[in-house]
Amino acid sequence: MTAPRPQAPAPSPRFKVFRWKAIGPLLVLLIIAAVLWWLFADTIARHETQKVGTQVIGAKVEIQDLHLDIPHGQVRIRGLTVASPHEALRNLLQADELVADVDMVPLTEKKLVINRIAANGLRFGTPRETDGRVAATSGEGIAGRVLAETREWASQFQVPALQLATGKISIDSLDPRRLSTIPAADALGARADSSRRAWQVALDTLRLGPTLDSARATLEKLRRARATDLSTLNEARQAIDRLKRARDRVTTLDRNVTQGVASLKSGLAGLDSARSRDYAFARSLLKLPMLDASGVGAAVFGPTSIKPFERVLYYMQLARRYMPPGLLPRAATGPTRLRRAGEDVRFPKERNLPAFLVRSAELSFLLRPNAEQPQRYGGRLTGLTSDPALYGRPTVATATGPQLGAGLMLNHVRNIPLDTAGATVGGIRFPAFEIPGVPLSLDPGAATTQLGFALNGDTIRARFAVRSTSVRWAKDSGFASSQIGDLVWRAVSGISNLDVEARISGALHHPDFAVRSNLDQAIAARLRAVLGEQVAAAEKQMRGRVDALVDEKVGPVRARVTEIQTQAEAQVAAQRARLDEVQKQLEQRLRELTRIRLP
Amino acid sequence: MFALIKLIQSLFGALHSEGTPGQLAAGIVLGSFLGLTPLVNVHNAVIFAALVLLNVSFAGGMLGWAVFIPFGFLLDPLFDWIGHSLLLAPALRGVWTTFYNVPIMPLTNFNNTVVLGSFVFAVLFAVPLFFATRYGVARYRATIGERVRQSKWYRAVTASKVYNAYRMFRP
Repeated sequence: MTAPRPQAPAPSPRFKVFRWKAIGPLLVLLIIAAVLWWLFADTIARHETQKVGTQVIGAKVEIQDLHLDIPHGQVRIRGLTVASPHEALRNLLQADELVADVDMVPLTEKKLVINRIAANGLRFGTPRETDGRVAATSGEGIAGRVLAETREWASQFQVPALQLATGKISIDSLDPRRLSTIPAADALGARADSSRRAWQVALDTLRLGPTLDSARATLEKLRRARATDLSTLNEARQAIDRLKRARDRVTTLDRNVTQGVASLKSGLAGLDSARSRDYAFARSLLKLPMLDASGVGAAVFGPTSIKPFERVLYYMQLARRYMPPGLLPRAATGPTRLRRAGEDVRFPKERNLPAFLVRSAELSFLLRPNAEQPQRYGGRLTGLTSDPALYGRPTVATATGPQLGAGLMLNHVRNIPLDTAGATVGGIRFPAFEIPGVPLSLDPGAATTQLGFALNGDTIRARFAVRSTSVRWAKDSGFASSQIGDLVWRAVSGISNLDVEARISGALHHPDFAVRSNLDQAIAARLRAVLGEQVAAAEKQMRGRVDALVDEKVGPVRARVTEIQTQAEAQVAAQRARLDEVQKQLEQRLRELTRIRLP
Repeated sequence: MFALIKLIQSLFGALHSEGTPGQLAAGIVLGSFLGLTPLVNVHNAVIFAALVLLNVSFAGGMLGWAVFIPFGFLLDPLFDWIGHSLLLAPALRGVWTTFYNVPIMPLTNFNNTVVLGSFVFAVLFAVPLFFATRYGVARYRATIGERVRQSKWYRAVTASKVYNAYRMFRP
């Protein structure tokens, strides 16, 4: 082997561009790749489906067996388990078998179009042995972000737990620095002083003295003048004009003073509002029980009622992320790999197929699978797609059966998405739940549940109701030492029916939340009867303590504002009176001389 | 360590192969595509097939691949930025939309920011890389190439079993 020359000669005519002898090994390589694909296609597809499903749902998706039948365009999945994104040891659903008829041609465009899915043996809410949450633990990806957002959304509805004062009611812990009235009073006092200085400066800059002196001198001159003394008459008219202009300036100042005084009075009203807030703050330090029925309802059932809303909102927000309206390019996180994932940008095009579409799905599922006679239900899903604007119709799902009616519509065809869901399920046994702050638990028994949920753009309107006639109450550990537990127990232990209704309405970022139940009045009345006097006395004491701290600051500020208002208004009025007096005398003398009625 | 030895052997094996500087440079350029862009993509299958079928230095291709893998990882943020800028440029939206909706093209993952960015970078980088490599190889062979070939450590390296295994697959 010899080294070539530095200036390599031009390729000789015998130079070959192609290395034909390499075709053989390349074909062998292709055959090996094809054999490997044939051997491992099912495994690869299973792993990829699990990975994508987990990424989309935000919880583990597990598949026991997946078989690709490419010649017949069929995918068969056995033993599908989707964990719940919200509960550690619970599945969202399990399916015995799913058979999907896949349209093969769109696969060449990397588009998955499923003409029909038949799902058998669906079961919901089954227990699992390991924590299947992914988004909740990692917080990554679209599901992680949506989960965090919906949790934050739900956290705004945290209502104080039902509780009694513990030990002796005392407000010694009331720290004056945490009262909002005191800094507000300081700020208002400073503002009042600033306004007084500003008005004084404005009054000084009016320079009314020279104007008045000049007008008075003209008046004296006019008194000695005759009707033919035209220059003096003109001078008098000019003096009147100057007085009018000075009066306009005083009027402007008067307007400013009036506005400033109104602002200071508004500040005084703000001090009253701040005092109300301080009362509420001091009341929270006392840990007094809520005695009104609406507060009791929210405290007892609020934390439990908000969960269904939070979960439905999570799935609807996921749907909005994965099924956005419109045809603009959409970026999503790319595939996981050693290299940076980057972003996959999709470019939907009119009159083309969507990237993902399930035309129809037939669902067959069981409710209460562990019961002696599990009941079978049927459902149907149509138009589940990643590009609703291309498909042109909303996603619709329905399920019916004995004691069940459920429906879902995700309408992202237009720019403002409209998502609605509704379900009525009878005979469902809810797990017993603890009453927040009270050592009691409530087993609703077999209940009828209704859920209505509508998300129109950013406006939410939702309702969740539970009705049961076989409620059971149970005492938890710690009941013996709980006064409120005993009180609530006496109020509700004889009540066997339950009727709870929670409603949310308004703008999605800050909606109104209300809970009512048939137990509210009973619990509130019991608490009022036992604790009313004690609570009233404690509240009175608390208000007195707040007033004592706040009045030290508010009283002087209120007096100062009143004084400044009086002083400023008096000064303005005095200046205006002086101007009016001289102007009046000038005009009267002019009329006498000219006998002409001035305009 | 094994990878480093393999890389050194690959480098000198390519430099002292019978191929012309142009063949070696073309091989390195094709190899740079494999190293700079995410490997498991359709375009890399085409690149690999070209490396095998075209009369270029296969050893150079392996060398380019090995050398540019770390650069690929390092430059991923740049590739992401390039791809993002190109894919979301309003002027190119029509082109991408057409590509995205014709058969086969979406399978290339061109709509991934890193894939597109790294591929565009590799294409633009290919021309200067080809000429620089061709010039460098020619200069090397004309100046110190023969002395290196006669040196003891070169003979030690090429005498190793690894090198023998490598020679079985050289073009």
